[in-house]
Amino acid sequence: MRLGCLGIDVGSISTNVVLLDEDRNILFASYVRVSGSPIDSVKACMKELAGVMQDKKMEIGALCTTGSGRELIGAMMGADIVKNEISAHARAAIELHPDVRTIIEIGGQDSKVTIIEDGTVVDFAMNLVCAAGTGSFLDSQARRLDISIEELSRRSIRSTHPTAIAGRCTVFAESDMINKQQIGHAQEDILMGLCHALARNFIGNVARGKPLHAPVLLQGGVSANLGIVRAFEDLLGCKVIVPRHHMVMGAYGAALLAMEANVAKSRFRGAAIWTRRIHTRGIACGDCPNNCEIIDIIDTGEVVGRTGGRCGKW
Amino acid sequence: MIERLAIPNLGNYTVALAAMVTGMGAEPWWSTYTSDHAMALGIAAAPESVCLPFKAHLGHFIEADNAGVENALMVNSIGACRLNYYRGMLEETLKDMGRKIRIFGLGFDGFKPPVFRYFDPPLIPLLRTVFIGLEKIKAIDTIELKTAYTRAREVNTGETSLLMERCLRELSEINTKKAVRRFHKEMHKRFETIQIDKSRAPLRIGLIGEVSLLRDRQLNHNLEQILGHMGVEIKNFFLLGGEIGNNFGLSMGYKKNTAKYLAAVAKPYLESEVGGHARDSVAHTITCAQTGFDAMVHVCPTGCMPEVSIRPILRKISEDMDIPILPLSFDEHTCALGVATRVEAFLDILRSRRQRGVRGASGRRRA
Repeated sequence: MRLGCLGIDVGSISTNVVLLDEDRNILFASYVRVSGSPIDSVKACMKELAGVMQDKKMEIGALCTTGSGRELIGAMMGADIVKNEISAHARAAIELHPDVRTIIEIGGQDSKVTIIEDGTVVDFAMNLVCAAGTGSFLDSQARRLDISIEELSRRSIRSTHPTAIAGRCTVFAESDMINKQQIGHAQEDILMGLCHALARNFIGNVARGKPLHAPVLLQGGVSANLGIVRAFEDLLGCKVIVPRHHMVMGAYGAALLAMEANVAKSRFRGAAIWTRRIHTRGIACGDCPNNCEIIDIIDTGEVVGRTGGRCGKW
Repeated sequence: MIERLAIPNLGNYTVALAAMVTGMGAEPWWSTYTSDHAMALGIAAAPESVCLPFKAHLGHFIEADNAGVENALMVNSIGACRLNYYRGMLEETLKDMGRKIRIFGLGFDGFKPPVFRYFDPPLIPLLRTVFIGLEKIKAIDTIELKTAYTRAREVNTGETSLLMERCLRELSEINTKKAVRRFHKEMHKRFETIQIDKSRAPLRIGLIGEVSLLRDRQLNHNLEQILGHMGVEIKNFFLLGGEIGNNFGLSMGYKKNTAKYLAAVAKPYLESEVGGHARDSVAHTITCAQTGFDAMVHVCPTGCMPEVSIRPILRKISEDMDIPILPLSFDEHTCALGVATRVEAFLDILRSRRQRGVRGASGRRRA
């Protein structure tokens, strides 16, 4: 039996799982849409993983969860470490491109910039509540045009004269796009204009004056979008690298962090978890003025984990 | 029947303010943090773009009015920010809503402020409770400092927070100066009973920024506790005892951070007063950088005039003196997970700095 390390990145839009062998090779990578249920999306990944683990005769030596669902899935799966996605993405980027200095990471709801000096993170910034310029907006625009997100990507790079789109806010961006479409601008120009607007919005409102030096890596779900890659290249005036495993960088970084954590015995609860019935139940703890909402994770009738407590009591 | 008086919340210090109000001949109505319910009421009633503390205070007073409280006390005439006008604005807003609660100012309102004219408290008992209150403030300063120290080192997570709550509860029930003093002494020992790991060298982070955000855990999403449980020793720069001591020249508080001294420290970066505690924030950042703190966390409500205006200054200090600063701004849309993610990533940076031996004013390598 060989020991592998597992990274799970549970984001707002997608759940990614990466399995590494002892030599840091990716044996298995999976990208599944969350569609509102992180638990089910992880179960779907585990179903695939179970087959791979059997084929390759692997066992899990360490598990790290990351992403906005890290606490919940960490409790459900028995994670050895739970790590924020900024550190996980940075870890993966440094692994693939040791000389990286800027990471632009755009996911479903979040966009972040991470500044790296000499292989360590020195600064970062994250978008505030507004999701302008993230994957979910591109998704909704693709839906409005009744094309797939892949088609949106292909069409946008055909543009030769990108239209100027107001990108400060997605609501206004949408009105502006509709306005431009009714005036008669070509669809690919509007789509490329949208990509420019999103990139501009990112540089203005997320990076906010932080110096973005090359080499620049673009990762997260949106990095699959060719229009966005080109927009960033136009605005930054340098090549934007989309790393090899750009869709699953968070999970890849998490797996690397799991490997480096020196876990003696993993608390991983097994890939066979996908066969079980898992649900959650909320209870209110009234023992102190924090009034925490505790979430019980129930696996076929038995409480296997809890999240939400702020004092350590649960 | 004794009328009730709602007092603005100032985190744990509200315990002491409540003690002072009893001497006024009123029954205090208070809480050490804004409840979820009050927050929702405040958000619904306040203009959208006003700052978070205004919404919190408004919600607090609406909740008081719902509970049948007749009077409320609100700070005014201090600081050079919009807080000056908040008493009047709260009064108008509540009046427009048809609320009956009266709002008195707590600040300079002439020789005999309206609140004294209304309650007309006899002088001797009033002074007595004021002295008890001041004594309690000193005790709460100790609770704050001890909590920050112990929480970062405790072996059993959560023990310190429980003890802090217990101490505050007991303190709120004491009503003689002598007993407060005795309690204050005894408290040192109680914090020592918590098992701590002395070998830990926790990250040290200074907390600066706007007072309500620093002190109301509802508003800052329990930032102090989150950091403490991640093994960080925080230093919250708003200690009321110290504040009063410095402003009125009383011998209380732990540091002689007088306004004059802080102004001198801040002078190379900021020569004038910009309101709130902004100038102090600048001074504290400089001092922390010089005394080997690992980082600062700067909290402010979204759109807070004084604190937002010093952000570029803080960024400059951060570069010049090599002290990382995490700016966090809060409004009602801020989600706890976002705060936690930023804080965790920030701590990762700080830990890696320590590992590489970069710390304090030792100079960052530049590319």
